[in-house]
Amino acid sequence: MLSAYNYKKLFIALLTFFCVNNLGAQPKFTISGTIRDRLTGETMIGVSVKALDSRLINQTTCNEYGFYSLTLPKGDYRIIYSFIGYKSDTLDVKLDSNKKIEREMSENIIELRELVVWAEKRNDNIRRTEIGVERVDIKESAKLPVIFGERDILKTIQLLPGVKSAGEGSSGFYVRGGTEDQNLILLDEASVYNASHLLGFFSTFNSDALKDASIIKGNPPAQYGGRLSSVLDIKMKEGNNHRYSATGGVGLISSRLSIEGPIVEDKSSFILSGRRTYADLFLKLTDRFKDNKLYFYDFNAKANVKIDDKNRVFASGYFGRDVLGLGDDFGIDWGNKTGTLRWNSIMGPKLFSNTSLIYSDYNYKISIGGGDSKFNINSEIIDWNIKEEFQYFPDSKNSIRFGLSAIYHKISPSRFEGDGIATREKRSRLSLESAFFVNNNMKISDFITLDYGIRLSSYTILGGDTYNIYDGGELTGSISLPSGKFGKSYINLEPRIQFSLMLNRNSSIKGGYARNSQNLHLLSNSISTSPTDQWIGNSYNIKPETSDQYSIGYFRNFREDKYQLSIESYYKELNNQIDYKNGADIGTVADIESELLFGEGRAFGVEFLIKKTTGRLSGWLGYTLSKTERRIEGINNDKWYAAKQDRTHDLTMVAMYQLTKSWSLTGLFVYYTGNAVTFPSGKYTIDNNVIFNYTERNGYRMPSYHRLDIGATYTKQHKGRYESSWNFSLYNAYGRENAYVISFEEDKDDPSKTVAIQTSLFRWIPSFTYNFKF
Amino acid sequence: MKIWGELKKRIIQLTVIVATLSCEKEIYVNLNSIEPLIVIEGNITDTPGPYFVKISRTVNFSSENSFPAVTNALVIISDDIGLKDTLTEMSPGVYKTKEITGVAENSYYLTVNVEGKNFYAISSMPKKITLDSLSFSPLIFNPTKDLYYTIPLYTDPVQLGNYYRFYLFVNGEKENTYSVFNDNLNNGLVNGRPLFSRDPGIEKGDTVSVEMHCIDKNVYNYFYALTQLSSGRPGGVTPSNPTSNISGDYALGYFSAHTIQRVTQIVK
Repeated sequence: MLSAYNYKKLFIALLTFFCVNNLGAQPKFTISGTIRDRLTGETMIGVSVKALDSRLINQTTCNEYGFYSLTLPKGDYRIIYSFIGYKSDTLDVKLDSNKKIEREMSENIIELRELVVWAEKRNDNIRRTEIGVERVDIKESAKLPVIFGERDILKTIQLLPGVKSAGEGSSGFYVRGGTEDQNLILLDEASVYNASHLLGFFSTFNSDALKDASIIKGNPPAQYGGRLSSVLDIKMKEGNNHRYSATGGVGLISSRLSIEGPIVEDKSSFILSGRRTYADLFLKLTDRFKDNKLYFYDFNAKANVKIDDKNRVFASGYFGRDVLGLGDDFGIDWGNKTGTLRWNSIMGPKLFSNTSLIYSDYNYKISIGGGDSKFNINSEIIDWNIKEEFQYFPDSKNSIRFGLSAIYHKISPSRFEGDGIATREKRSRLSLESAFFVNNNMKISDFITLDYGIRLSSYTILGGDTYNIYDGGELTGSISLPSGKFGKSYINLEPRIQFSLMLNRNSSIKGGYARNSQNLHLLSNSISTSPTDQWIGNSYNIKPETSDQYSIGYFRNFREDKYQLSIESYYKELNNQIDYKNGADIGTVADIESELLFGEGRAFGVEFLIKKTTGRLSGWLGYTLSKTERRIEGINNDKWYAAKQDRTHDLTMVAMYQLTKSWSLTGLFVYYTGNAVTFPSGKYTIDNNVIFNYTERNGYRMPSYHRLDIGATYTKQHKGRYESSWNFSLYNAYGRENAYVISFEEDKDDPSKTVAIQTSLFRWIPSFTYNFKF
Repeated sequence: MKIWGELKKRIIQLTVIVATLSCEKEIYVNLNSIEPLIVIEGNITDTPGPYFVKISRTVNFSSENSFPAVTNALVIISDDIGLKDTLTEMSPGVYKTKEITGVAENSYYLTVNVEGKNFYAISSMPKKITLDSLSFSPLIFNPTKDLYYTIPLYTDPVQLGNYYRFYLFVNGEKENTYSVFNDNLNNGLVNGRPLFSRDPGIEKGDTVSVEMHCIDKNVYNYFYALTQLSSGRPGGVTPSNPTSNISGDYALGYFSAHTIQRVTQIVK
């Protein structure tokens, strides 16, 4: 057995080639530590740490656990810690030995707070290497107007260029032409397979329990993998380790409450957070809907213990469930469960390690019929994941991450059970998905930074089921894999590289290339996602989806960083894309794989974003011009067609205005080209019914979508610790009837005619929420 | 399968409940006009003839629901024991057999020659499976009235690959919708799957007839795809034309050789 020390040495030896060590004659020492919030004791992510001497500025940022490490030549330095919304913290250090410096930072309480939704320090947007990354300030984004007053980070990120809402009121999103299942949504590192409540109108994330959220649009560093389009990395709060506090809110359709506090002061803390909707209570009052069930709830919990100065353990969990029912003869419920156990260890001033054990479970259950004939449809996906990640800071120029991850997937396909159904056993499928990764962020000079890495991912089918092989939907062979045997493996090598070139203090050019692969796929035959869409892993027919994305961007700040402009462009190619064949029988077919078709995709876009980050009036304007196409063998005569998420124009405007000390106003406007849809071209008769003739896949467009939402927040000034605010909003303020679906049917008044009927959902939806904290 | 369509319908209903403030209106959509296509609808059954083949054309969406007949076609139905029947045009676009008689477990061939185009189709008439009786189960969804749905009782053969189509008649009136079943879920068992009828449902005292057709796989696939299209409200499935068993030049429609049985019962 390798001791921890030897293990460390081995890895460092393996990795020295990976960084440029400009070993000078001067001895070097390391400053390292953890940065926390003074009030809550929460570790802070992304704090900028600068070390100044007479000649140079050395800079680093705190990692996701608040840890930083800077290795510098012996000397005198002024260290500056800074973070948006916080008072800068400065101290002078005589560096003649390795130093451990832990700091606590205080929030900047000024008379008129600036409203900032995107947490970013001044010209960080120019400086950092990542392209297509945004971090959401969860607290501030709560002031944006939202439907039914349920603040939702998934709806905030939809206001970014390149990120598009999946539909009216939906928390689902598309990133740069990708589908919904191509987004990796992580909650404390655990995959969330269905991030929506109530058929997509609400997200599973209760903002009160969240600490940080960031989205990476397709060029992720090597530690992330498994999805093609984006990574949405969400982290739960750790809980205040100084004192007890409660946060909550009462809204139109739901209420929520969070309690946090120390278990042992400064050593350990917890947070418990719950939310439940009560729209069903109103339904009970109506005659028509009184037998219907319609609610969701979710629960977040997290605790952490500081074992010693170097080791900390976290446990976090999420549990959420939706229950919908129409009378007694139709019911559907679904939900996610996740759990994460983490061990942070500072193995030395330059080496940080995180070990995680992660569990994730998503399942749904549908019951139809009552009395003599009752059916159930069930499906489930369970993951067990072990992950080890090291962060190594060899000097002030390089920061290296490396590690490995292994996920054991158990996927139970949708199964019918009930009377009159021969239970032909559909077995659960097992697989092992593993990855090795190494990534380095390297400052080549003050102007050029390079971030490069590689991810080796593999997916192995594990025995326990029979796998059929199809050619054009016809069975050509079958492989029976006994339990304990290994089946086919797929291996993907995913290189990732990004650079930033600072032209001057105010402008930079960035570019990147990334290859991503995806081994789990969501099969959906719907225009909108439904909880019954099923996940499926690679098999002998289904190969990993892969994508290659090239991005380039220009970033420029004006008027002392008051205005930030970015122009980013991307081109993406996708392979092994999956779709159902026309007229697929997804309900009863013995093997869903016989109903699948495969093809390719391509996406191109230019994203413009102008933000005003300071002053009483802040906000942003985003615009995306894009094109997304697919070509699937067996669909649309094998020709390229517009993907449903293809939207030529997409415009977002957000304005926030601090009116007085206690009142702030917000407004947002969105406009986008309607989705590509399939409409009939002509009609005919079969069996005396009128049937529509379809000529082309997605050859038509829904009408363009636009909407204005307005909101106001009143923050009451209390004495003492009690804080409260009222949030009012009006969704779709000018009552635009946006088309949700357009259907073609017989005219009810004149059966000799056919008409197009448009259904619109939400107009003039007012809402209010009362929030409190003490 | 019908249940899946029903499920999609229910999900749409739920969406509408969530959005209690939804509204509907008729709109104008500028849909493409296309060159009219030939539509062929041919049937041969195990009951005594004559059998009919209807040939019509597509019209534009905005036109009235009257579909032009295709006349002067040469239509032939033959079987695999050497019988060949040239159909006569009984009325515009409707062609009638003269002498052929359908027999279960035989294959039938349709050829149509019209306006210089040729169309071919094959359909195999399956073995007849006996429809024993009907049973009626209470529908719980509407608590204000005792309503029922119909379950056709038959025993599916042990051999996998049987396909059925059902038409429902309530008090002598034919329902617009039909159901198609396969035996993927209940192979070899007595059927327990219901036939859904038009809203609100059938009541005590109604006379219900069920016509069961044993159809072949291609015809099942065709009608299954049609049920996905014609569910009225879109269940969300991206629509496409059903895969037809007619080959040769491009035509819409189908040719089906099937058995027919009918059982009538009064709801008690």
